[in-house]
Amino acid sequence: MSTDIGVWIAAFLTLGILSFLYKDNPFYKVSESIFIGVSAAYWFVYMIYNVIEPNLLGNLQKGEWWYAVAGILGVMMLFRLIPKIGWLSRWAVAFMIGTGAGLNFIVYLQSNVMKQIRGTLAPLNSIGNIMMIVGVITGLIYFFFSAEHKGLLGGAAKVGIWFIMVSFGASFGYTVMARISLLIGRMHFLFSDWLGLLH
Amino acid sequence: MGFFRGMLNLDRRIIFILIAGAVVVPLFIPFHLKMHPTPASQGLYNAVEKLPEGSTVIISGEYDPGTAPEIQPMMIGALKHCFRKGIKVILMGLWPQGPALEGQALQEVFKEKEFKEMNLQYGKDYVNLGYKAGGAVVIQSMGTSIPATFPTDMAGTPIEKLPLMKGIRNFNDITFVLDFSAGDPGTPAWVMFAHDRFHVPMAAGCTAVSAPMLYPYLQTKQLSGLLGGLKGAADYEWLTKSSGTGIRYMPSQSIAHLVIVIFIIIGNIAFFVVRKGEKR
Amino acid sequence: MDTRFWTKEKCKWRRKVLPLTAFIILLALWGTIRAQSPVDTLPPSPPTEVTAFDTPNDAGKNITINWKLSTDDGAGRNIVKGYDILRSESQEGKFEVVGSVVAGISTFQDDKVKNRRNYFYKVRAKDHTSSDSPTVGPVQASGQWYHKGKTVVLIFVVIFTALVIYFVESAKKGKKLYVRPIPGMDAVDEAVGRATEMGRPILYILGLSTISDVATIASLTILGRVAKKVAEFQSKLLVPCYNPIVMTVAQEVVKNAYLDAGRPDSYDESNIWFLSSSQFAYAAGVNGIMLREKTATNFYLGMFYAESLILAETGNIAGSIQIAGTDAVTQLPFFITSCDYTLIGEEFYAASAYLSREPKLLGSIKAQDWGKAGLIALIILGGFFASFHFDTFINLFTVGH
Repeated sequence: MSTDIGVWIAAFLTLGILSFLYKDNPFYKVSESIFIGVSAAYWFVYMIYNVIEPNLLGNLQKGEWWYAVAGILGVMMLFRLIPKIGWLSRWAVAFMIGTGAGLNFIVYLQSNVMKQIRGTLAPLNSIGNIMMIVGVITGLIYFFFSAEHKGLLGGAAKVGIWFIMVSFGASFGYTVMARISLLIGRMHFLFSDWLGLLH
Repeated sequence: MGFFRGMLNLDRRIIFILIAGAVVVPLFIPFHLKMHPTPASQGLYNAVEKLPEGSTVIISGEYDPGTAPEIQPMMIGALKHCFRKGIKVILMGLWPQGPALEGQALQEVFKEKEFKEMNLQYGKDYVNLGYKAGGAVVIQSMGTSIPATFPTDMAGTPIEKLPLMKGIRNFNDITFVLDFSAGDPGTPAWVMFAHDRFHVPMAAGCTAVSAPMLYPYLQTKQLSGLLGGLKGAADYEWLTKSSGTGIRYMPSQSIAHLVIVIFIIIGNIAFFVVRKGEKR
Repeated sequence: MDTRFWTKEKCKWRRKVLPLTAFIILLALWGTIRAQSPVDTLPPSPPTEVTAFDTPNDAGKNITINWKLSTDDGAGRNIVKGYDILRSESQEGKFEVVGSVVAGISTFQDDKVKNRRNYFYKVRAKDHTSSDSPTVGPVQASGQWYHKGKTVVLIFVVIFTALVIYFVESAKKGKKLYVRPIPGMDAVDEAVGRATEMGRPILYILGLSTISDVATIASLTILGRVAKKVAEFQSKLLVPCYNPIVMTVAQEVVKNAYLDAGRPDSYDESNIWFLSSSQFAYAAGVNGIMLREKTATNFYLGMFYAESLILAETGNIAGSIQIAGTDAVTQLPFFITSCDYTLIGEEFYAASAYLSREPKLLGSIKAQDWGKAGLIALIILGGFFASFHFDTFINLFTVGH
């Protein structure tokens, strides 16, 4: 059994959260509140020392004064707390959305449209390739809103939704796998680090 | 009929107990499963295997303690693989907790005799540049200059004082990128900027949740390989012939999956039988 | 004949010859060994076919150097450890190492140069000793305004933007743009009606994103429609919010909807309130509301993350009618399994365009449809061309770096 107080606290909180599976109870509420409080404080401190200090104050100290522009935009974000001048925060948001859209538009088009089309243009010489092309086309038809899903278009859309559902099924399966992995990690912690029953 | 009706109204706490049992029991009674690595896992292994000795690889970590059970074994596997091949490793992260977890992974690796004896030196054989906020913008900026993006390493040592970083200017001096991510910012950003824009070959590892979203990048060869979830981690351990939590957790994972599959089948049969009964 | 080898006379002679012979043999042996050992001292063969040129399609200050690997790299004597790239500003001048690469690599980009200045390069293959390639140059770096490799991207951008502008403008001018009815949307009225019959409230979740997220904006549009129905039927609408700014906008939207329905007196601002900005605390709070208030209908429209299943599963246990819509691909499977209707990805946006008839939304839905039709045509054509190995067409989609 562990002699580390940190491990004991972690084990208590883990069990507290897991107890929700039985039903809502005070242990769960305590664990959850601690979790929320600690993470808020953690992020606050982390942001100051790892973002604001090195990226803004550090650069200003080096005499790179143009970082002050970013600093001012950052402060403008906080103006939304004062209703009278709240509109000023929109400038900062507009700046972020504008640069973000400009940067991402081309990159998305290139990586997620052009390269993916290029990947879809495969010779129709194997079942895999044919399935892929049929899946992509019928999937696109399902998301076609300018015409009602009737006749040939309706049939294609139906095939499309089947493909989409199969991919959701795969996605669901993967998520179950991920959740089980996390549970295994926690169980291993409880039985190994805390109770010392596993080696 | 009564049985099926009972199954449909089963108290979910019974399911929770069964799943807990399926997870815990194999931890105590370990048995070995033969692994059949997926082509995606094999792709990542082959890509790293092909790198020449002395090349420089960036390993980026975008995960936190919550997702570490899935990602950490991949990170440890990648470090071992690179060190064995004499590859120089630059660690970094786009999530705040990533680099700290990478540090823990290094500690795990050096606990093993094989790697302890290699006598690898910080600054010469590997460095940890730490976390940088900004996601995709950080990668974009690394394309112009890595020293300008990371003026110091995680401990605050100026980058010029690290022998490994001498001669590293931007992605032109990086042979390969390995990205291990649990979400956003993560692999898509690396693909779009490091691979598509600065054409560094790369491979990735991710949580099982995000694997289906990243598969299209494999098919278009924007990723050379992909480790998906704990199974991917176990594959990698199997391929690199090392032991780790990936393979160790696999029996629990498999039994839990089996229990879930059985419940899905029973649930579906029960659903149809009960519905048929009600129609009559 | 004296056959004895060691006669006195012969002995004398041989005593002189033998050591000499031995010496000569040893000398010869040493010579042979020496002749074979220069493996370590002979330099590797130099890299060949070195070319240096201005890196194309960049902002300048960058020269690319390519070469053919030394014949002793990966083949031959296989002794090359790596290459140094040397640069000088004159042909005969002093060459300095500007970079190195490991063996097997045959390209390097020198980004420490100035534009419009002459440079000369050599590549050095390294072992214990080294050998240099002939000098190449002069070469100058310069920036380009236009990236030739991205012409296809430009064409796509121009066509798509033109389509969006065209359809938005036509919608503004009052042209009727058809958008097909979306199944989940027809269920909205029915769901509101049911809640009224049961005398229980309706819960509307706007997702966990900010006001700048398109998903949140689409969700607010649908909220307006739902609120109007609720006002007409005189039932109760609960909107717990995750983001304080989204909350203020939601209050405006609902207030206007009640006004439109002619019942501004029934509007109660306290039913649209801020709950929490912490993901799982918010999920826990909403779960409590569902169980306490016994909501008849739950709407989950907007951006969702890992809390999606926790919310939808609780609603499902409570027996509410549930309608979800999101473009968070990873969360869609959970909504599909636990909700009665789910708007998948773009359907969610189309639904908001369908309900609001807002020209910008309608126009972009139309433009996207045309974009999709174009893609389908390209994929079909591409499939045929690829089958007949007509690669020129396929290579059109290969974007240059």
